[in-house]
Amino acid sequence: MMDFWIILTAVLVASACSILGCFLILRRMALVGDAISHAVLPGIAIAFLMSGTRDSMWMLLGATVFGLLTVFLIQTLQTSGLQSDASIGIVFTALFAVGVLLISLNAQHIDLDLDCVLFGEIAYVPWDTWTLGGAEMGPRAVSMLGITLTVILLLLGLFYKQFKICAFDPAMAAACGIPVLLFHYLLMGMVSMTAVSSFESVGAILVVGMLIIPAATAYLLTHRLGMMIGLSVAVGIVSAVSGYLVSYLLDASIAGCIVSVAGILFVLALLFSPSGGLIAKFARRQSAARSA
Amino acid sequence: MNTSATTTDETRIPAFAAERGRRNVSRIVWMPLLLLALLLAGCSANGIAQGMSEDGRLRITATTGMVADAAREIGGEHVEVTTLMGPGVDPHLFKASQGDIRKLDRAAIIFYGGLHLEGNMTRILEKMAAQKPVVAVTEQMPRDRLIGTGEGESGEYDPHVWFDVQLWTSAAKTVQETLMREDPANAERYREQGERYLNELEELHRYVQNRMDEIPQEGRVLVTAHDAFGYFGRAYGVEVVGLQGISTAAEFGARDVSTLRDYLVERGIRAVFVESSLPARSMQAIVAGAAQRGHEVAIGGELFSDAMGEPGTDEGTYIGMVKHNADTIAEALR
Repeated sequence: MMDFWIILTAVLVASACSILGCFLILRRMALVGDAISHAVLPGIAIAFLMSGTRDSMWMLLGATVFGLLTVFLIQTLQTSGLQSDASIGIVFTALFAVGVLLISLNAQHIDLDLDCVLFGEIAYVPWDTWTLGGAEMGPRAVSMLGITLTVILLLLGLFYKQFKICAFDPAMAAACGIPVLLFHYLLMGMVSMTAVSSFESVGAILVVGMLIIPAATAYLLTHRLGMMIGLSVAVGIVSAVSGYLVSYLLDASIAGCIVSVAGILFVLALLFSPSGGLIAKFARRQSAARSA
Repeated sequence: MNTSATTTDETRIPAFAAERGRRNVSRIVWMPLLLLALLLAGCSANGIAQGMSEDGRLRITATTGMVADAAREIGGEHVEVTTLMGPGVDPHLFKASQGDIRKLDRAAIIFYGGLHLEGNMTRILEKMAAQKPVVAVTEQMPRDRLIGTGEGESGEYDPHVWFDVQLWTSAAKTVQETLMREDPANAERYREQGERYLNELEELHRYVQNRMDEIPQEGRVLVTAHDAFGYFGRAYGVEVVGLQGISTAAEFGARDVSTLRDYLVERGIRAVFVESSLPARSMQAIVAGAAQRGHEVAIGGELFSDAMGEPGTDEGTYIGMVKHNADTIAEALR
C-alpha cells in the first residue's frame, strides 16, 4: 500500500506540473516554480509571527498568500515591459531576502527554515492521512493534489482555446477580444496553487523539476500544443513510476530519482528527436553534404 | 524556423488540430497507467511480514544513534535495531530514502527523539502512532527539567537532551517500559538489561562530572558552533556559548562572529570546539579572527552533537560518545 500511495502522489504531481509546465515554457517562465519555492519564505515567517505556531495549516496559508503575491508581482513587472527572466529574478530574490530578514529579526531561536516547516517529503506521504467524520480518507497529499489537478483540467478544458492563443500570440488574442491579462493571471494563479500545495506534499525539487523537464522534453518532440501537453504528461508519469522503481533498487531519495529519470528522458529526446534531435540534425547535415 | 508556421496553422484551424491531438493524447496517457498497474501488482507481491525479523526477533527502528543504542542495550538478543540517521547526519535536515521508509514500515516499534528534533518528520511519526507503537523517548521527561527556547507559546524545547546523562536515563526508562509492554514474554529480560544499563548511565554521569571538575572554575566555557550543549552545560556547570541559533539551518550573521571573537579575547578562552555533524568553517573563521587580535585560540577537538561516531568504534555508542566529548573538553581546557 505504501508503494501505491507514493506512486499515485508522484503521478498526480507529475501530471499537474507537466500540464502547466507547457504553458510556462511557451511563455518563457519555466523558472517560476523555483521562484515560488523561495519567495514564500516571508509568508512562512509572517504566519509564524501572527500565529505563534509552526502548525502546517498556518504555514500553508502564509505560503499560499505569498505564492499568489509572487506570481502577481512577476506578471505585473513583465506586463510593464521588463523581460520575464528579470521579473522572476527580481521578485524572488527580493521576497526571499525579506523572509531571511524577518526571521533573523524576530525568530532567530526557532527552527523556521522552509525545509523544516513547509516542504514535505514524498516518502512520508502514505502516513500523512486525514479523516472526515471518522472515515479514513487516505493520504492528505493525494486528496489535495487530486483537487488541484481537477481544477487545472477543468479550467484548461473550459478555456483551452483562450489559454492557447494567449500563450502563443497575446497580440492576436487581444485582437480577438480575449482578456489576455486575465488569462495570464489565471494561469499564474494555477501555477502558484499547484506549486505551493505540491511543495507541502512532496518537497521542492520534485515540483520544480516536474514543472520544467517534461514540458521541455515534449517541446523537443512536437510543436503542436495539444500533442505537447500529452507528451509532457507522459514523460512526467513515466519519470514518476520508473523513478520510484529506481529509488527502490538504489535505496535512494525518491524525489531525486524521479527528477533524475526525467533528466535522462530529456537527454534521450535531445539526442533522438526525429525532427530537432542532435542525431537527426547530424544525419541531415551528412546527407546534405553528400548531395552537394 | 517551422515553429511559428505550425502553430499559426493550428490556431487557424483549432477544431481539427485539437481533435487529432486528443486522440494521440489519450493513448499516451493510458499506456503508462497500465504499466503502473502492472508494477504495483509486482510490488505488493513481495511484501514481507511486518514486525518480526527472519529469526523471530522484534524489529525496532530508531531515528538517531543515541535512541538506537538504548534500544540495543536494553533489548539485547531479543530485538533487531535499525537506525535511520547514521554517523554525521544532522537530524534536522534528514531526508528519508526509499529504504528508510521501508524500515519504518516494517518495524514493530519505532523510537524517536521527539521535541521536534526530527524536524518535519515529527508530524509523520506522530501520525504513525495510530498504526503501531511509535514512542518519543523524551515523552516522560519532566517538562520543568527541559530548557525552553523562549519563543512561541506552543511549548518549544531544546531537543538535545542526551548530553545531560541523568536526564537521558528517563529516555532509557521509556525504552525499557515500552519493550516490556509490547513484548511481555521477554519482559523479565528487558527489566534486567534495563537495570544494568541504567547503572552504567549513573556511572557515566559521575565520570563526566569528575572530568569537568578537573577544569578550573573560570575556564569552564564551552564554545561550539551551535547550541547543542545547553543541557550539558546546565548539568555539569559549564558555561556554553554557541555561534548559531538552535537550528543548524539558521544562518549566522557577521555580528555573531565578531561578538564571539571579542568574547574569546576578553575571557582569555583557550580552546573552541567543532562538531561532527557540522562543517568546521565557521569556527575556523573565529580562531583566525582571534589570532588577528593577538589571542591564541586552539581548536580543542571534534565533539559529537547530533549524531554518534561510526558503528564498531567506541564513539559509536552513546556511552563512548559522551565519554569522548567529556575527555576532549577536559583535555583542551584543563
